[in-house]
Amino acid sequence: MLNSEKRSLIRFLVIYLGSTFLLFSLASWTFYISSKHHLYDKQREQLEYQAENIKSKLRHLHTTFDKTLYYPQIKTFNSAIFDLDKKYIFGSFKEKPYLNKMGHYSNNNHMYYISKLEPYYLGAAYLMVSIPIDKKPIVSLQRNIIWFMLGAGIIFSILGYFLGKLFIAPMRDSINKMNNFIQDTTHELNTPISTILANIELIEAYGMYEKSEELKRIEIASKTLSRIYEDLTYLNLNHEYYREIEEINISKMIEERVVYFSAMAQNRGLNILLELLPNKTLNIDRNDAVRLIDNLLSNAIKYNKTKGNLTVKLTDTSLSVIDTGIGIAKKDLNDILKRFKRANKSEGGFGIGLDIINQVVNSYAFHLDITSKLHVGTKVEITW
Amino acid sequence: MVKIVLISTFLCMTTYAQTLNKENHTSLEESCLSCHKKQQIPNQLIYRRYLIKYSTTTQIREAIFTYLKNPQIKYTIMPSQFFLKFPMKKAINIEDKKLKILVNEYLDKFDVKKMLVLPKR
Repeated sequence: MLNSEKRSLIRFLVIYLGSTFLLFSLASWTFYISSKHHLYDKQREQLEYQAENIKSKLRHLHTTFDKTLYYPQIKTFNSAIFDLDKKYIFGSFKEKPYLNKMGHYSNNNHMYYISKLEPYYLGAAYLMVSIPIDKKPIVSLQRNIIWFMLGAGIIFSILGYFLGKLFIAPMRDSINKMNNFIQDTTHELNTPISTILANIELIEAYGMYEKSEELKRIEIASKTLSRIYEDLTYLNLNHEYYREIEEINISKMIEERVVYFSAMAQNRGLNILLELLPNKTLNIDRNDAVRLIDNLLSNAIKYNKTKGNLTVKLTDTSLSVIDTGIGIAKKDLNDILKRFKRANKSEGGFGIGLDIINQVVNSYAFHLDITSKLHVGTKVEITW
Repeated sequence: MVKIVLISTFLCMTTYAQTLNKENHTSLEESCLSCHKKQQIPNQLIYRRYLIKYSTTTQIREAIFTYLKNPQIKYTIMPSQFFLKFPMKKAINIEDKKLKILVNEYLDKFDVKKMLVLPKR
């Protein structure tokens, strides 16, 4: 799966699963709150029922004239009676409770119900009844909701994955078609380009003809084609490509590649400045290094002004290529590394140069920094 | 010496308190309950009537005191029909301070808080 496909699939899944999760959470929360209230209401009804029960027993007790009056105590319930001044008279609580609220209220563990008595049997004007909150059904409800959310999450994730695949299928087809076209084209281009370049070298080697302006142009055009071919092959084979890491004299390689691009640079009248740390070595695959340098130089030449400057700086920790070209607008800087993205379409190309640079940089955990000012120039710096 | 003085003071105070209590007790019995007994007035029932109407001891105390000082139908706890059969009692001739003590004693004697217990589970 391509990176762009992965990104689209992930974005789709995030939006789809996020909104589904939000919707389910809202529904579950509403259901939980309503069920919890229903459970509490049941317990409140029990309290009210028991309060009435105690009241009737108090009425009976009021007309009893025994020496000892047995306070009506009900299993699991605690109760207490208070006079009109809210002073405690008697009750089954372990600690004397205080009467400061009316009706129903609860704390973390207990539910209370306070009701008025009229007339005041045994002097009781208020009756407080309490019950420990039965949390078992609430815990069970919470567990059921969590299981439901988990189950729904799994089902919708699977569904989302397949839906996502279905949605990105047209995009995948387009990309596949494009890749196949590039693959076929590059394959067909390889032989004629190699033939042209070999023959130019032969002409130069044997000095058959003076190197005319026309021949130079043919050489430049052929090298450009050859480089495009190399880039496209690199991108196509990138995943299956076996890298052979070796110690490369990067200073020497830059010099060689500058010579390779000299005809192209001369054609644009560029002034090439090399500030290279001599014999700097880097552990890197040769092909990766060539693709990296070639693309940096090619971009700097292609997007430079005629008779501009091209500076290549190599220090112990970095490689910078600075041009005095058209620059990149600030808004385009964030997307410039994407494949097929071209900030400026005045020059030819597929928009794969910076993508290749970025891939090489990422493969070796280097750091890429692009600073640019529109119509002033661009500096591409790679640090390791 | 100090110990002897302290112990003597304590003994005197205890004796005085006991005497006072006995006097008061005798007073409630003599001034109120003996007569109630003769007339077969159910004290507990009367007290419960006050309790069911007034709830708090402060209000009951006030109501009993007012009735005893000025016995009228509007101040009594008994229903008006009761006085068709029985005569209204005469105003009590005891000074206020002592009467208040007697009322307090009455309230204390029949207090339901003392009678209420939790059944054994």
